[in-house]
Order: sequence, then C-alpha cells, then structure tokens
Amino acid sequence: MKQRARIRLIVIYISAAIVLLGTVGPFLWLVSSSFQYERQLLNRPPQWLPNPIVLDSYREIFEGAVLGEASGVPYQSRIFLRSFANSFFVAGSVAAIAVLTGAYAAYPLARLDFRGRSTLLFGILASRLIPALSLAIPIVLVAKQIGMSDKIISLVFINLSFILPYVIWLLQSYFKSIPMELEDAGRIDGCSRLQVVHKIILPLSLPGLTSAGILAFLLTWGEFLFALLLSESPASYTSTVVVSLFATDVDVSFVSIITAGVISVIPPIAFALIFQRFIISGLLSGSLKG
Amino acid sequence: MQIRRETQQKEMSQGMMALLFSAPAVLIIAATILVPFLIAVFLSLHNWNLKRPGRERFIGLENYTDWLTDSDFWEPLQTTFTFAIGAVVLIVVVSLLISLLLNEKFPGRGVLRALLLVPWAIPSVVNALLWKWLLNPQYGLVNAIAFEIGIITEYQNVLGSMPSVMIWLVIAYSWIHIPLATLLLLSGLQTIPSDIYESAIVDGAGVRQRFLFITLPMLRPMLSIVIIFEMIFALKVFDIIFVLTAGGPADATNVLGWTIYTETFRKLDFGAGSSIAMLLGGITLALAILFYVFLDKGVER
Repeated sequence: MKQRARIRLIVIYISAAIVLLGTVGPFLWLVSSSFQYERQLLNRPPQWLPNPIVLDSYREIFEGAVLGEASGVPYQSRIFLRSFANSFFVAGSVAAIAVLTGAYAAYPLARLDFRGRSTLLFGILASRLIPALSLAIPIVLVAKQIGMSDKIISLVFINLSFILPYVIWLLQSYFKSIPMELEDAGRIDGCSRLQVVHKIILPLSLPGLTSAGILAFLLTWGEFLFALLLSESPASYTSTVVVSLFATDVDVSFVSIITAGVISVIPPIAFALIFQRFIISGLLSGSLKG
Repeated sequence: MQIRRETQQKEMSQGMMALLFSAPAVLIIAATILVPFLIAVFLSLHNWNLKRPGRERFIGLENYTDWLTDSDFWEPLQTTFTFAIGAVVLIVVVSLLISLLLNEKFPGRGVLRALLLVPWAIPSVVNALLWKWLLNPQYGLVNAIAFEIGIITEYQNVLGSMPSVMIWLVIAYSWIHIPLATLLLLSGLQTIPSDIYESAIVDGAGVRQRFLFITLPMLRPMLSIVIIFEMIFALKVFDIIFVLTAGGPADATNVLGWTIYTETFRKLDFGAGSSIAMLLGGITLALAILFYVFLDKGVER
C-alpha cells in the first residue's frame, strides 16, 4: 500500500512538471530572450539564460519615449510607452465604470420583483452572442461619421458594453448570495432601497466587486479588434495595437519585438497572480474571456 | 400590513426602480451593441462600398446570395471549421487531463493552479507574437529543440506550409484558452461526491471504468458548457491570424474572421463585409443552439 502511494505521487509529480513546463515555459523563454543581445538570440543551440543580462531593449523603449525621433530607435519603440499608458487609462476606466453601473443594474435583477426581469437578464446576456466582428463594421463607420474615431474615449465606451454583461451577471449572482435577512433588517430600520444598496449590499459585496473589476480590467487590457480599428495615431493606440505593429514589421530587431511583448503582459500577469483568488472565483461564477 | 402599504406608497414601484437602476448600463449596451447590430443588418442589405461613394443602394439579399454561391465564402468556412474543430478538441482533451491532475490532492497543487493564470492573462496579440518567436524558421525555440533531439535534420518554416501552419495555429491559439477550460472542468469535477467513487471501488471498478462510467457522465453538463463556449470563440478567431499568418500562406489560414476583415477594411466593401459577418454570426448561433440541445440531452438536472 505504501509503495502504491509512492508510485501515485511520482506519476502526479511527473505530470505536474510537464504541465508546469507547458504553462509557464513559453512565456519564460520570451522573458529570457528579452534580456539577451540580438546576436545571442541567433545562436544555435539557443542560449537558455541571458548571460550577461542585457537591458538595452528596455532602455530603448524608455529613451524612445523621452527623446522621440532624436533617440534613433524604431518608431514602434518610441510610441510604446504612450500606448502602455493608454491601455491603463482604457482598462482602468472600463473597470471603474463597469463595476459602478453594473452594480446598480445587477441589484434589481438579483433582488427586485418586477415584470420583465428575466427578459432583461436574458437580453443583457444575449447581447454577447452577436460576434464583435459584425458590430465592428457599423461602429467604425459611425465613429468616423461623428468624429469619434481615433479617440481613446471611444475605446472606453465600446469596451464597456462588451464587459458590462459579464459584470452584471457576476454581480447579480453575488448579490443573491447575501442573506435576505440583512436587507430586511435594514428595511425595518427605515432604510430606503438606495440606502440598502449603499449601506448593506455594496459593502458586503466588496469581494465580488473586486473580482468583477479585475476581470473587467484584464479583459479590456487584451482587447485588440476595436483598438486596431478605432485608432489611427499614437494618441489612441493601445499596447496591443503597438505590439501588433511590432510583430508584423520585419525591419525591427527581434529583441525589441520581444521586449515590447514582455512589458505589455506585466500588468495582466501581475494582476492575475496577485488577485488569483478573486479571479478564479469570478471566472467560475460564469464569466468568460473572449 | 398597514405599515407596509404606506412604505410602498412612499417609495416608487419596484419596476420603476429597476428601470432607473439599470438604465445607465442598459443604455450603454444598447448604444454600442443593439444600434450597431441594426445598422449592420441595414448595411448587409445594401450595396455599400466606400471606394465607390454615391452608389449606395438597397439590393435586398443580393450580398447574401453572392456569398452563398461564391467559393470565397465556402473555402474560408471550411478553413474556419477545420481550425475550430481542431482547437476545441485540443482544448477539451488537454484541459480535461490537467483538471484530472489538479483534482488529485498533492502538495503544490495550489501553486500549479495559480500559474495556469499566466497563459490566461496573456492578450491574444502578445500570444501571437510569442509563438511567432517560438516558431521562427531560423532561430525559433521549437525548431531548436526538435533539431537538438534529432526529430528534424534542418530547421523548418512551419508557418510557411500546410498542414503544419494549421497545426501550430491551433496549438498557439489553444495555449491561452486551455487554462479557463481547465478551471471550469476542475470546478465540475469537484462537485462529484467522493462516496460515489468509494462505492465503485468497493464494487471492483478500475480506474478506466470509474472515468468512463462516473467521471464523464457526471462532468457532462460542465463539459457541454466548455465545448459550446470554446466553439463560439474559435469560430470567430481573428487576433492571432492577424499577427501570426495574415490568412496565409496562400489562404491556408484564411478563416471567415479574416475574410470579414479584409473585405471590409481593406477592400472597403462594407455591404459585403456586413453580410458575411451576419452569416458567421448566424452559423455560430445555430451551432450553439444545436450543441446545447444535443449535448444537454439526457443530462438530468
């Protein structure tokens, strides 16, 4: 019996090692590559760990952002940090507004009794079934007509509507898990509905609100299609767009491309690992990426 | 009773309150999903090419019939399905295996589960960049490993020919989609009560029998959800195509998502682009419903 347990553990750890390698291996190789000289990247066999640790490509991106054209670095490197800031602005705004408006929309769905409740919930969720590609065409057309193209605020607005259904779904199921007695106690003490929401529901839902906000941030950070179609200049490029400009350009050095990739995933990966509990609970209560 | 009626009179009705509370969110969704959807339907029924302004006119279903009689629709459709089926199969098989592993108790399990979030958090565009580097024909790690082990005698350009380009596209795409599928399947596995397994062991059921007759049937609802969602996502693939293959080589990875993009934003034919996007949306929806009915049949709730 003891030997069986040992074999079981060995099998488990071999499998776990394979999964671990497959999960983080490709990304670690990207990180390792970003710290090497361009000529080292061309070595055969490849050099696994950077030796020495080279920060040139990182310096290029900072110098490019500060000095502009005078730095002599490629165009993509010069505009990268600005796009990084744009991504923060868009993803942060979307997260904040989505949680705020989503919470108010989720409360009646979770707690109030009114005609059309299930229709409203179904309608909100069904809006996600329409493929983004088919919506992209009219959105781009209208945005150009009304002068909202190439504006970062348009990206906030568009991303918001794709995130909101998830946030509402997640929050209404969270609100439902709060004991009704707490709300009734508040009502007996003379709270209005709005006070109940502000003083009882929202404070008790802090974990749910946090996971909704983090998911909204991460999903928006990775959005590409609308960022590509609605931006025409560095003023509104997000980091995914600049990464695609890097990746599809054959004239830029490998190490610059790779470094841009690494920097642009630092926020989402850091967030994902720091807030893993919130994210996993959020994902499992019905929210999906895509 | 009396008191209750008074408070109700003082406050507005629940329906009114629901309307007010949800108004901001609903308005945002309506403005950016409902309205564009109606415009997309409108465009798809028109001849609307930005390269030929002034010639916009209503042409009924002509855009649709044009597509349905054109190999430029059927070939990308076939490519889309090849890709989607490959991706769904790979994602489901691998995530099922990983979730079975994570369902076992062993020290370090929590760490492994947390690290699954690394690929999940990587944006699809960065994922494409990562695989472009891994698969580089001269310096890529995949080539280097295969060469060092002795599988290949010279470096290959796997993105330059069929069927290797499709295989690697599926792998690269699946890499960031496996984690979520794994977490969902894991949560499904954890709802299976352990005493069912215990009594099966008492009855002499082996590992394989337990998997086939307990795990799979009990996991079926969650498995259905994962298959349906992954199918919907894979059918509308675009980001990774844009960076990794641009539909090439020679249209080998020209999926419908890419056709919609080139038709609309390169050829500027908004009518044709809208109608093919509608077709893709319709196919996706029909499949989702079909899968839902088919996969959910026989599941006891």
